[in-house]
Amino acid sequence: MSERGMAAVPRTVVGLLAAAFAVQIAWQASRPAPTARAEALPLPYSANAMRALSGSDTIVAAQLSALYLQAFDNQPGVSIPFAELNYARVERWLAMMLDLDPRAQYPLMMATQLYAQAPIAEKQRAMLDFVHRRFLDDPGRRWRWLAHAAIVARHRLGDLTLALRYADDIARHASGAPGWARQMRIFILEDMGEREAARILLGGLLAGGEVTDPQEIRFLSERLEALRAAENSSPPSRN
Amino acid sequence: MLRPIATIARYTLVEALRTRLPMLVIAAVLALAAASTFGHQLAIAESARIQIGIYAASARLASVFIAGLYVLASMAREFDDRGLDIVLALDLTRAHYLLGKLAGFLALGVLVAAVATVPLVLFASPAAALQWGLSLALELAVMMAFALFCIVSLSQVPMAAAAMLGFYLLGRALTAMRLMGANPIAGGDSSAHQVMQWMIEGLALLLPAFDGWTRTEWLADAPAGWMEIATLAGHGALYVVLIAAASLFDFYRRNF
Repeated sequence: MSERGMAAVPRTVVGLLAAAFAVQIAWQASRPAPTARAEALPLPYSANAMRALSGSDTIVAAQLSALYLQAFDNQPGVSIPFAELNYARVERWLAMMLDLDPRAQYPLMMATQLYAQAPIAEKQRAMLDFVHRRFLDDPGRRWRWLAHAAIVARHRLGDLTLALRYADDIARHASGAPGWARQMRIFILEDMGEREAARILLGGLLAGGEVTDPQEIRFLSERLEALRAAENSSPPSRN
Repeated sequence: MLRPIATIARYTLVEALRTRLPMLVIAAVLALAAASTFGHQLAIAESARIQIGIYAASARLASVFIAGLYVLASMAREFDDRGLDIVLALDLTRAHYLLGKLAGFLALGVLVAAVATVPLVLFASPAAALQWGLSLALELAVMMAFALFCIVSLSQVPMAAAAMLGFYLLGRALTAMRLMGANPIAGGDSSAHQVMQWMIEGLALLLPAFDGWTRTEWLADAPAGWMEIATLAGHGALYVVLIAAASLFDFYRRNF
């Protein structure tokens, strides 16, 4: 397409363009710079609504929801600490993702590795409780997240009773979990000073033939002997 | 000066009303209102808010794209059919023609905004719906003027459509980009970041920040102040004048 020279443009048009351009620049420059504003986490849609909105592609809907939730603490220009998030809503987002994609591990990973790291015991407990409830829906696939929850309960919360409850449920419900996860309750019992209970459980584990790896058998046998020795050396009970 | 502009504007509007554009706008509004009602039924909490949010966001987007693409298609047809040559052979200047077309498109934008606002009168307060509708009309005025500029300058519909979409998306995302650029999580001291930051701030001087226009919050939470709407009207008018001047500049330089 050929073009005519600048002389073809009337001066009024050039003047109007220059004036409008200058006023636009002045207008925009006079506006205050935008300020960041933390927005509250909204309620998620229900799993059925998400299913409909995603054209029944529930896996993608769950994945996009996970990315949205994960990025929520980094809104444009502002970083929100996890501790300031509304955990009841976070839990509803995570539950919605698991309802959409029950095989996904990502929501439980977020619960234990991200949101359970907030330095508020109440929020940590809320996330651990969520993981525990969702573990019971599918222990075979979700035991590792409850194992992590047990570690958080034991070392971060210092709540050995809660850690033992989680470890017990792994041993009871997740038959496919590896030995270290199912044996976790023995070491928690030992930490709690319940040496006799730990010894009985460990002895039962070894006698039951569940452990087949020679190295593991040797390690557990040594632990059993140590427990017996500690029990024999401890002062007798008043009862 | 005004009479030829008004005549061309009237025929531009009549042409638009005699195409299937009105039916398309009405069908889109009905479909989006139905979709938002579906969202209302699905929601277990804040259902009215969700309905307003779904309708307002989708209706704004649909209005912008329908109106903008109509401008591109209408002008492209005029260029291809050589109708422009006949008009320019009359006792009319190029400014008469282009400003007349622009005025017709702006009137069309007001009608599209009015139709898109009708369902909101049922969902939200009348004052908030009116503010939203006025703001949408202003947003459409800027976008239709920009679409006219694109087709005059670029001639080809695909290029003009891409430029129009890019302009709109950039206008909507610009404030978020400025905030992210001003408060980076990491790497804020690098020269690459500084260059990007200057570019974004430069764009902010040129482009309208559409995120502040036609806001769903006015409908779902609290209406905007009328001073805010007046400020948007002032900025919208300024921006339309700027784009019209740029379009005239390119139109006068074009050889037919």
